[in-house]
Amino acid sequence: MRDTVLLLAMNGLIWGLIIALIALGLSVIFGLLDIINIAHGDFFMVGTVLAWFSLSVTGNFWIGFLVAPVIGFVLGAIIQRIVIQPIHGAAALSIVATFGLSLILQEIVRITFGATPRRMLAPIQGTIPLFGIDYEIYRLFAAAVALAALGGFFLFLQHTKLGIWMRAVRHDRDTAVAMGIPAKRVYVLTFGIGFALAAFGGAVAAPITTVDFRGGVDVLPFCFMAVIIGGLGNLPGTVAAAVLLSFLEGLIQSVADPTIARISSLVLMSAVLLLRPQGLFKGFVK
Amino acid sequence: MRRRALEIGMATAGAAFLVAVPWLIPALIDNFWVSVITEILIWSLFASSVNLLFGYVGLLSFGQALYFGFGMYGVALGIDHFGLSFWPAFGLGIVSAMAMALVSGVFAVRLSWHYFAIITVVFSLIFYFLAVSMKPLTGGDDGINFTLPPVVNFGGKVFSLTDPTLQYFFVLAVVSLCLFLMHRIINSPLGKGFLAIRDNDLRASLIGLNVYALRLIAFVMAGFLAGVSGALFAFFGRYASATYMFYQVSGEAVVWTIVGGAGTLFGPLVGTALFIVIREIVSSHWEHHSLIVGLLAILVVIFAPKGIVGLFNGWLSRLDERDAGQPAPRRLTLQAEP
Repeated sequence: MRDTVLLLAMNGLIWGLIIALIALGLSVIFGLLDIINIAHGDFFMVGTVLAWFSLSVTGNFWIGFLVAPVIGFVLGAIIQRIVIQPIHGAAALSIVATFGLSLILQEIVRITFGATPRRMLAPIQGTIPLFGIDYEIYRLFAAAVALAALGGFFLFLQHTKLGIWMRAVRHDRDTAVAMGIPAKRVYVLTFGIGFALAAFGGAVAAPITTVDFRGGVDVLPFCFMAVIIGGLGNLPGTVAAAVLLSFLEGLIQSVADPTIARISSLVLMSAVLLLRPQGLFKGFVK
Repeated sequence: MRRRALEIGMATAGAAFLVAVPWLIPALIDNFWVSVITEILIWSLFASSVNLLFGYVGLLSFGQALYFGFGMYGVALGIDHFGLSFWPAFGLGIVSAMAMALVSGVFAVRLSWHYFAIITVVFSLIFYFLAVSMKPLTGGDDGINFTLPPVVNFGGKVFSLTDPTLQYFFVLAVVSLCLFLMHRIINSPLGKGFLAIRDNDLRASLIGLNVYALRLIAFVMAGFLAGVSGALFAFFGRYASATYMFYQVSGEAVVWTIVGGAGTLFGPLVGTALFIVIREIVSSHWEHHSLIVGLLAILVVIFAPKGIVGLFNGWLSRLDERDAGQPAPRRLTLQAEP
């Protein structure tokens, strides 16, 4: 019993770190461009598929870690320029536009990759003993990679010129433009980074989940929940909420079936929305 | 007034077409299209429930599939489990959808905009997962099938929806009635209250409107529309399934509404018809019709941000201006953005 609890809690925690990466991308796009991105789950799905393709073409798993975010970034930048920019940040319209985008991405993957879900073998096989259970090494590795990427992103945001530009445009667009920051280019960049984060999350998660053209559908609501529970515009809050939600779901899964676990995390989510609509962490995260 | 004449002409032509469908369409194409048009009518009623909330009250609901599903399961369980006849089952579907809308509305309408969108999707996901896990009752993703009871038994003469023509007219009558009711409500003082909240809820509350109560009323009304469409769809397909409660079904209705023109009575009908007709035409020739649907959604949003009906209304207003030589009065109900 104790072993199952530990195993599922660990799984939840690690899945939460990967979700945090994806939700962070969603939060950045949402906060800066005011775009409700229905296609974000599919950005994640594209990442898993890119990882699958780069493994089957080159035979090397690790290339996927490079290919997924780079292609994701380029695609994101192109999409922003063609689809997102013309709608001028109208949130209701962004739902329709990204819904269309989601259909297109899913269909392209269905044409090229096929409709059957596939599993990918983890590049690191084997288990190590951990707190008395044998735990898959790849999952631990995935957690480390996700943590590093999260840390890297926050460093980028705090300490590089682009990161400062992104924060400035988000804070006050007009002043930022007056100071000579190219806001339009920052938007393109932000959308690219959002896509890249989700795609990278996909590449990391590919050996843990199945690679499927509908793989983003389940991830999307979860990411939105993390963004809202964490507080709109609160990036560290988003990360904390994603990890917390997924960890709790893992814990509940050890005593009930996965559907019940999902339902209880949804009920928890409604309670947070009703009692603290400003997010769980407002007040102690600046 | 060319505008008035044009509007009346179009309405008459549309009504004449809809009444003539069972004879016109089999002669022109084939019987299959009668059922497609039936389906369009049902889904456009569902999209209207999104439209009532978003287009007229400014609340973007991403969870209308929940009430659609309750309407559906009300009918299916009513017939299959409780052995109800046609009308009581229909009533059960509608009442359970409205009751669910009332319960979730009490919580949901306290929030607005992003938060409202998220809480409605969360509520619908909770019941989607419940429906999936309660397989003995709901049949889960596979759903439950039932045989259709007759609508009326008229002195030995039995009328049932198994006749496609009767089914079509039944759906047409119900959908028309619902849209007519919606039209009356929107033009009543209650409807003006909705519009006031949509345009500025703070000002609406300052002139003495009870924003919470009005939003709740609108939410239950939208639950009614979604429940009726779900019940009709259950009769149409003779089954109910949990898959129709998933958030993507709600999302499609939002897209149909915005593409057709939110805040216009016929926008949802136009948007729904556009997407379903394209799906039916293209999918028989080309497997990957989603590409075209996706592309179309993006193009409409870029080139007609007020939707197709909004675009048409804009064109009518310009016609008016040219006639009168002065700007036409701006009509309150024609805005797509809340």
